[in-house]
Amino acid sequence: MNRPNRRQAVLVYLLLAVVLIVFLTPIYIIASSSVKPTPIMFQKPPAMVFTPTFEHYTQLFATRPFAKFMLNSLIAALGSTVFSLTFGSLAAYAISRIRHKRMNDVAFWILSMRMFPPIAVVVPYYIIFKASGLLDTPLALIIIYSTANIPLTVWLMKGFFDEVPRALEEAAAIDGYGLLQIFWYVTLPLAAPGLAVSAVFCFIFSWNEFIFALMLTGSNAQTVTVAVMSFWSSDAVQWGRIMAGSFIILIPGVIFVLTCQRWLVRGLTMGSVK
Amino acid sequence: MSSIELKKVVKRYGAVDVVHGIDLEIAEGEFVVLLGPSGCGKTTTLRMIAGLEDVSDGELSIGNQVVNAVAPKDRGVAMVFQNYALYPHMTVRQNMEFALRPLRLARSETDRRINETAVLLGLDELLARRPSQLSGGQRQRVAMARALVRTPDVFLFDEPLSNLDAKLRTQVRLEIGKLHKRLGTTIVYVTHDQVEAMTLADKIVIMQDGHIEQTGSPQEVYTRPRNRFVATFIGSPAMNIVPATISDGKLVGDHVSVEIPERFKKRVQAGQKVEFGIRPTEISLLDGAEQATATARVEVTEYLGDEALLDLRIGSQELIAEVPANQCPAEDAEVRLRFNPEALHIFDAETGMSLENQAR
Ligand SMILES: Nc1ncnc2c1ncn2[C@@H]1O[C@H](COP(=O)(O)OP(=O)(O)O)[C@@H](O)[C@H]1O
Ligand SMILES: [Mg+2]
Repeated sequence: MNRPNRRQAVLVYLLLAVVLIVFLTPIYIIASSSVKPTPIMFQKPPAMVFTPTFEHYTQLFATRPFAKFMLNSLIAALGSTVFSLTFGSLAAYAISRIRHKRMNDVAFWILSMRMFPPIAVVVPYYIIFKASGLLDTPLALIIIYSTANIPLTVWLMKGFFDEVPRALEEAAAIDGYGLLQIFWYVTLPLAAPGLAVSAVFCFIFSWNEFIFALMLTGSNAQTVTVAVMSFWSSDAVQWGRIMAGSFIILIPGVIFVLTCQRWLVRGLTMGSVK
Repeated sequence: MSSIELKKVVKRYGAVDVVHGIDLEIAEGEFVVLLGPSGCGKTTTLRMIAGLEDVSDGELSIGNQVVNAVAPKDRGVAMVFQNYALYPHMTVRQNMEFALRPLRLARSETDRRINETAVLLGLDELLARRPSQLSGGQRQRVAMARALVRTPDVFLFDEPLSNLDAKLRTQVRLEIGKLHKRLGTTIVYVTHDQVEAMTLADKIVIMQDGHIEQTGSPQEVYTRPRNRFVATFIGSPAMNIVPATISDGKLVGDHVSVEIPERFKKRVQAGQKVEFGIRPTEISLLDGAEQATATARVEVTEYLGDEALLDLRIGSQELIAEVPANQCPAEDAEVRLRFNPEALHIFDAETGMSLENQAR
């Protein structure tokens, strides 16, 4: 390696280190605080050496049905992801393939759903769900999250569908397949990276969502984000349990992203058309 | 095997007609080549036959059944796309399997057909590969194999050789010819390459600007072009066209004067403006005392091995002649020429139509 290259490499690593510190410090604080005994939690300077304790975790599960809340979060997030990918990609396929001069307007209209500030529609949704008996059910969250996730999926998937060569679908049409079969066997597999990206966005958004979950769920469908914040009350803030809960919240997102990562490959259509 | 018939078929995009009411009959088992310059509507015509484009007007039949409203999958056609359109997420074997699945064959029959086709096209070693792991020539053969396994009634080819290098093109061209002899399936083949058309076709359909200019066997379109466009489009180097006027039983142009061949005598009138055509190979150099058609100056000579191409100037007119290389004159030399009267073509100057007695 010659000198300028080496200097460049050093710079790159320095920059990476800074970025990593910025992103990992909060996670370190959460992880370490969740196993710190309460008395030393806010010691200054922070205690670096201590005997870890899992009392916050046991307390977390003892004082709240936290496992149930995790399941609620999972149902809401996975449900909305599946729902959004299904209908979002079908809509995106139509928008990508139907030639009509107003199709762009339709696409933009769908995206505009996403621009609504959620807080503005919370109360109307509350009334609607109360009237329909969906209040405090996972289904309510799935519906709400999908109204945000579908527009995103449509836009992401439209881009990926646009990249799938028409000739492949025409070849399949001549080979004897109908529209939905072509979509399922040819177009969708080639847009798999788009599905993976969309799934990650949908899942993370739904899993992390707070305001709707707070307003539209009670003891039955409560999600982990709301549950964690319930340790923050006017009389006391139970930092240990908040940290323990927060650390647990982080895990599914990481697992989900790592699972989807193997689909995030480029060049899937290589070799199909010259 | 199926016959195909187009009756006044029109393709319109918005207000623009790109195919203008063409009539075409293709017999069972015939190898028909649609030939024409880029943008003349060959692909559009082929895609209408395949069912990938709607027919705007007129009637399209395959096997005596009108198929205007029939889906591509129910037309019994298979197509080889110009860019091959292989399914990139499937192996070569899966590409063929996918094409066969709608036929609902028994597993053993599917395997038999795949293996047979793979051997026929030399793909048996490549069945487990993905398209991205194949060379251009191999991809082309996979595209053919995928069409072939289905044993369709009609094969459609859209410039299947245009992405191959010259040597491979010749080789695959021969293979396609052999394939047709062996299978006898009706083939519609689109190309802008006249060599492909001449060597493969039973019948050539020459198109220009969405019209059919002439339909006929390779010999017919070469020896009896219906108009000036076909005459100059077929043959390389192109036929020489010389403006002339009929006068005293002669074709009189700028510094040229040619006796009108007997077969044209009744078809022209004195004073008529025409153009006559002569292929470069039908111009010969005179060394004896024979009566010359014209005298020309040699501007450039191009040595091709057995032959030489001469760029000639007669007055304001430029002509190309192809002569045996050993007769090649020096550049700037004056040469005396003879045009073979048997090979002379005469076109109406205005309409461009041949004055030759047409078979149809
Ligand atoms: N989808 C389309 N919309 C409008 N014009 C088109 C479309 N497809 C083809 N054309 C026009 O039709 C003409 C014929 O095209 P094509 O059949 O592809 O020609 P060829 O295959 O002979 O080169 C061209 O002038 C082309 O611009
Ligand atoms: Mg074309």
